[in-house]
Amino acid sequence: MNYWEFLIQYLPKMASGAVMTVSVMICALLLAVTISIIFGLMRITNSKPIQGVAFVYIEFFRGTSLLVQLYWIYYVLPLMGLTLSPFMSGVIALGLNFGAYGAEVVRGGIQAVPKAQWEAALALNFSSKQRIRRIIIPQTFTIILPPAANLTVELLKATALVALITVVDLMFVAKQLNATTWLSAQVFGTALLVYYAMARFALIPFLRWLEVLAARKVGKS
Amino acid sequence: MLQNLKSKALSVMVGALLIGTAQAATADELSDRINAGEPIRLGFATAIPWAYPGDNGEPLGFVNAIALVVLEEMGITNYETSVNEWAGLIPGLQANRYDIITGGMYILKSRCENMNFSDPIGLFGDAMLVPAGNPKGIHNYQDVISTGAKLVTGAGFNTVEAAKKEGVPEDQMMLVAGEVEILAAMNAGRADVAVQTFFGAKEHVDKSNGKFEVTNPADMPEWTKNWVGIGMRHSDTDFLAAFNEAMAKVVGGEAWMANTAEYGYTEFQLPGEDASTEFACANR
Amino acid sequence: MEWRWEFAIEILPRMLWATGNTLLAAGAGYAIAMVVGLILMFGQQTPYRVVNIVVRELVEFVRSTPLLVQLFFVFFVAPQFGVTLSAWTSAMLTIGLHFGTYLSEVYRGALEGVPKTQWEACRALNFSTVYTYRRVILPQAFPIALPGMGNYLVGIFKDTPLLATIGVAELMHTANALGAETYRYLEPYTMVGAIFLIISLPTALGLRRLEAAVARHQGKLNH
Repeated sequence: MNYWEFLIQYLPKMASGAVMTVSVMICALLLAVTISIIFGLMRITNSKPIQGVAFVYIEFFRGTSLLVQLYWIYYVLPLMGLTLSPFMSGVIALGLNFGAYGAEVVRGGIQAVPKAQWEAALALNFSSKQRIRRIIIPQTFTIILPPAANLTVELLKATALVALITVVDLMFVAKQLNATTWLSAQVFGTALLVYYAMARFALIPFLRWLEVLAARKVGKS
Repeated sequence: MLQNLKSKALSVMVGALLIGTAQAATADELSDRINAGEPIRLGFATAIPWAYPGDNGEPLGFVNAIALVVLEEMGITNYETSVNEWAGLIPGLQANRYDIITGGMYILKSRCENMNFSDPIGLFGDAMLVPAGNPKGIHNYQDVISTGAKLVTGAGFNTVEAAKKEGVPEDQMMLVAGEVEILAAMNAGRADVAVQTFFGAKEHVDKSNGKFEVTNPADMPEWTKNWVGIGMRHSDTDFLAAFNEAMAKVVGGEAWMANTAEYGYTEFQLPGEDASTEFACANR
Repeated sequence: MEWRWEFAIEILPRMLWATGNTLLAAGAGYAIAMVVGLILMFGQQTPYRVVNIVVRELVEFVRSTPLLVQLFFVFFVAPQFGVTLSAWTSAMLTIGLHFGTYLSEVYRGALEGVPKTQWEACRALNFSTVYTYRRVILPQAFPIALPGMGNYLVGIFKDTPLLATIGVAELMHTANALGAETYRYLEPYTMVGAIFLIISLPTALGLRRLEAAVARHQGKLNH
């Protein structure tokens, strides 16, 4: 069959897999952002114990492989009594892993805001809350957006791994189609194109738009 | 024979007693869930023609067909499927990700230690997949050892244990995830010979358009011929008994043979009168 | 399920042997990536616009798609076109290309980070291109590139488990095989995680030290 026939017959199936990919990504992203903010802030508090906890968490999840974490949560946790669905196992593993990387980005972002800004806010008699909300956070946001955008694209690509713990995402569907049709070039080639389209033509423009929005809020554009 | 008859009679009695008291709180966890109306979850890997998912995830393959025939006899028509890698089937069962393994597992002692098997659903053998013409003249594990050929098989397959028992050295073995990867490895010339079930090998020959052929299963060691059962957790003993009881009624029957015919299952595969899970657990 | 120490010790030799394979795979893949990165970077700066655009699109494509899908593509598709390579070789080439695209971006960023005035000064002083690169530009670009290169070195090491899916006998693959043989997954998977930690943490720390040392050295040179 030629490629058009292939697409007509199998693209709907792959599209439903892509929908699962996006679901996993969005849920994991929400978890990762939450963890990034919490642990990023924990890293710069004045309390040494809290810093230590955050440090251990970040180094642990950055130092181990995502696939190993996935397998552990999927196969080993149930033996200890905690059985999460494949979808939740994937979301949690991705969220914890990327949350660790995100925490470092958040930390770097806050520390990169010039000291002068903090001092000026103090001099102008801003309350602590106002200072954080109106001066520091908007600037942090613009600083962390480019590396955060990179991490988000990485997250999209990393969702492919959840196929290995039986989540029926795009990668899983591709493997199944390959197993039954052996049209490997068409199947995996189309999968690559779909991932590429999602990253290049949906995700990245959205992230660019966020950057422009943030820059405008800070008065830079 | 008498032993087998006695155990069959016992399981029939137990099964009847249990089905009669199905609402009792002493039924195992799986039976409780089924009786509460929840679907039973079938776990299998992609291994054509044994078990594989259809376009909408429906369970195809003869092991699935047989399991569904037995389940229907038990009055269970509500099911879900979970497609895994082969090596993940047993840990997935233990992690409660599904309830029965319908991948087509040989009954092996090492497996019996970690799970229960139903009564056998058939008798099967292994064979080797070689390039057409069998240039290296490989027919069994000893030939593999003597020719120094690279042998590929799936992680967690019964053939891994068998190859080790026959003495195939570690560096001659290549382990991949499953049936699909086995054919891919052979296609790419990454291995000289593959060892798998006879049915799996035949499927690969069909898919390869004459590039490969399958050796005679009679050339494999006699003790590798084995029975296949449906896998369950150790704790689901009541369900196991009910399942066996239902299977005894439908084995080799009309629905059984009709639903498996398209996959190549014939009466030669029927388990036979002397088939026994206890025997297989002890001797394989 | 409790931890069984005798079992853990029993499988340790095999796990350590597989760790060697993992390090080899990471090292070889990274070496390929470093070279591929250079080629891809210069491929975007040729005098021929078409070549630049094609290479740019290739880099974007490989960078934006999952390594796992690329591995499966090479594993399944290449043989169908007659390209038969061992699992190792195809894994190395794929991972090398994938990380090569990342490194090409790191190199590009590093070169752009060198102030334009440096180039102009070399022009004015009549330095040859080779001399310019060797004595002026590259020494300044290197510290800028180092954090990125270090990150991807650790990253490639942590991505080696993906090679298990196409049969490369590295650490994750061995853990899977052990689990399948013995039906115990707790010890193999936990040990894999521990081994990864034991290797990547000191490496990351060491890289940070290296960055600091290079930066200090640069500081001395810039006077």
